[in-house]
Amino acid sequence: MALPINYSLRNALVRWRSTLATVLGIALVVFVFVLLQSLAAGIERSSANTGDPRNLLVVRKGSTAESASLITRQTLTEIRYFEEIARNEKGEPIISADVLALVNLPRRERGGEANVLLRGVTPRGIELRPQVGLVAGRWFVPGKRELVVSAKLAKRFDHFDLGDTVHTGSGQFTVVGWLAAGGSAFDSECWLDADECRSTFDRDMYSSFLVRPVDEAAGERLIQRIETDRRFKLKVEKEVEYYRKQTMTAAPIKWLGGFLAVMMSVGAVFAAMNTMYAAVGARTREIGTLRVLGFRRRAVVTALLVEGAFLAFFGGMIGCALAFYWNGYTTATMGFETFSEIVFEFRVTPKFVAEGLGFAVAVGLIGTLLPAIRAARLPVIDALKSI
Amino acid sequence: MTLPTFILKNAVRNKRRATLSVLSVAVSLFLLVMLQVALRELTNPIDDEGSSLRIIVRSKVSLAQPLPARQLQTLERIPGVAAVSPFSFFGGLYKGDEKFTSFAQFAIDPQRAQPLIADAKVPPEQLEAWKADRTSCIVGKLTADRYGMKIGDRLQFTGQFYPCDLDLRVAGIYHGTADDRNVMFHQKYLDELLGNPGVVGTWWVRAASIAEAPQVTDRINQAFANTSAEVRAESERAFVLGFVSMWANIKTLISGISIVVVFALILVTVSTMSMAIRERFRELAILKAIGFRRRDLFVLILAESFGLAMLGALVGAGGAWVLFHNININQLTNGLFLVFEVTPQMMGLAFAVAASLGLLAAALPMINVARTSVVQGLKTLD
Repeated sequence: MALPINYSLRNALVRWRSTLATVLGIALVVFVFVLLQSLAAGIERSSANTGDPRNLLVVRKGSTAESASLITRQTLTEIRYFEEIARNEKGEPIISADVLALVNLPRRERGGEANVLLRGVTPRGIELRPQVGLVAGRWFVPGKRELVVSAKLAKRFDHFDLGDTVHTGSGQFTVVGWLAAGGSAFDSECWLDADECRSTFDRDMYSSFLVRPVDEAAGERLIQRIETDRRFKLKVEKEVEYYRKQTMTAAPIKWLGGFLAVMMSVGAVFAAMNTMYAAVGARTREIGTLRVLGFRRRAVVTALLVEGAFLAFFGGMIGCALAFYWNGYTTATMGFETFSEIVFEFRVTPKFVAEGLGFAVAVGLIGTLLPAIRAARLPVIDALKSI
Repeated sequence: MTLPTFILKNAVRNKRRATLSVLSVAVSLFLLVMLQVALRELTNPIDDEGSSLRIIVRSKVSLAQPLPARQLQTLERIPGVAAVSPFSFFGGLYKGDEKFTSFAQFAIDPQRAQPLIADAKVPPEQLEAWKADRTSCIVGKLTADRYGMKIGDRLQFTGQFYPCDLDLRVAGIYHGTADDRNVMFHQKYLDELLGNPGVVGTWWVRAASIAEAPQVTDRINQAFANTSAEVRAESERAFVLGFVSMWANIKTLISGISIVVVFALILVTVSTMSMAIRERFRELAILKAIGFRRRDLFVLILAESFGLAMLGALVGAGGAWVLFHNININQLTNGLFLVFEVTPQMMGLAFAVAASLGLLAAALPMINVARTSVVQGLKTLD
């Protein structure tokens, strides 16, 4: 017969003072694990949910990032009228040749300097990216040195309020609008007129093309046609795919989260073991009595395991709650691909909560196993005799 | 039986618990040392005499913006400038690497850069061979060892930022700089591949003396103010610190997390160690009853937990010290860390933490022992 679960739960709680440290320790292990994973997930999500599945992104073969790519103007004139590319109502091909520039700008409140990614776009480029919308002000007027900055970056950088002037080298831009892009990679960009961007930063070439093929099949043909043409040396892939692959920034954080979790859980297992050995030691007589009453060894082991798992689960819950406090918190770091400041939010997903709790329970079970076996192996008479 | 043997016997009589306690102290201190080293290596650039003499001049817009090659003449005429060379970060992918190459390739002018790379030790005939051959390069010893590169080998790099690929012959292998990983090749070769665009990535300047270096930086900045290509000159150290500042909140976050990690483990350890003494309450009461004074008991408790904590520190921090001195961190972390140096301060911190841990673990039982009367203590069952 199994011992009632209530026996385990109440036992875990009755010595709450001595188990408090173990519970808190496990809570912090889970906290660190969930927090770092949700940080990495936030960074990944900020690029993974970027783009329109219908669009294709064209960059130079060999460049791993759009910002490092260069495409000649001649290539644009050659590709522009390919019949695979869709046309709008006016009959213009839906293709945007963007120019990306990296500018070093001061943060607010003397927070040092950081790189910001500027994207020079055409009206087609704005149409091709429905994720991007204005939250304040207006769009830039082509031919004017006007800048629309990301609302999220505006909170972090100096002179990013509407009407302010941003100085970059010899260029000056007036901030006329704030954009928001629903948590995508465009939330870490500032947009301006493509030609103004080219002339200010002295660029003869474009960085990338974004195109909308007529349909899926035309898209496949377009990829074939451009990539196999030796003259171009270009790489074409789905816009969403390109952004999904931008994982270099998140990878080391994920690794750190996993590593710390493993190292910390080793410490936590030691602690749980000590706590449960003490618990078993203090209840030797009680366990002996249970055996005399007819409870099997297996029942005793199970009851103790449930107790340990419950303790750890409780700790895990506290850890997840602590981590959840940070859910949605906006922060930023340097993106390795773009080499510019990227803004993202902590994302505590159910998956991480489940993993964290599973982790905690595992720590509890491993820590309890040896003490539980020891308790079950005690000869009944000795157990009863002990004080 | 003397007091020390009594303490020793007590400490190890529950061998399992003693081991577990020592191990959890060791794990936490190992982590503490490791995180400290990692943070220091990431945020504190190498500081040697050369790096305060060397100045990096980049475009004021950003590092990604090239500078006109014609700036060379102006730079050379600035007082206090001892040497100037182009310094273009090629950032190519080494043949076989998919996304990331663990070492950098710089295009420089071998003649002009001579004083800038003075600390790089290269056999003279290799140096001459490099200078003579436009398409050759010198490779840092760490990189050469790692990839098994020999003199005469050809290295291929796919350009990521530049629309061209490199095919370089290894002319020499250098060592003795702060970062023996880089590949140095001719700016002229890069210019040719690009069709002589008349630009360079950055300029690398050597000031005549350390005292003059700050003025030289100012003079360079002023010389190009209000031109079409304004520049930002800064010492190599300031340049690297600029990168660190770009890490933004992540840096704070990771140091915050390290504190949480260490705190969590200490919490757990303190609790287990004081448990060991709490369980012997009856014994302590007996000792009291047979005439041991309170002070003696304090010494007993303190010595035991202090000893265990110190042993843990020895295993954990000492283990970290030995481990990090004997592994090739460059290879292990794929170039993220070049060195992983455990400083005496970190060892000091680890032992200080262990000491306070020992004190803390002893504090609670000590208060209890002091408070409880002999009779109460004898009655305790837990």
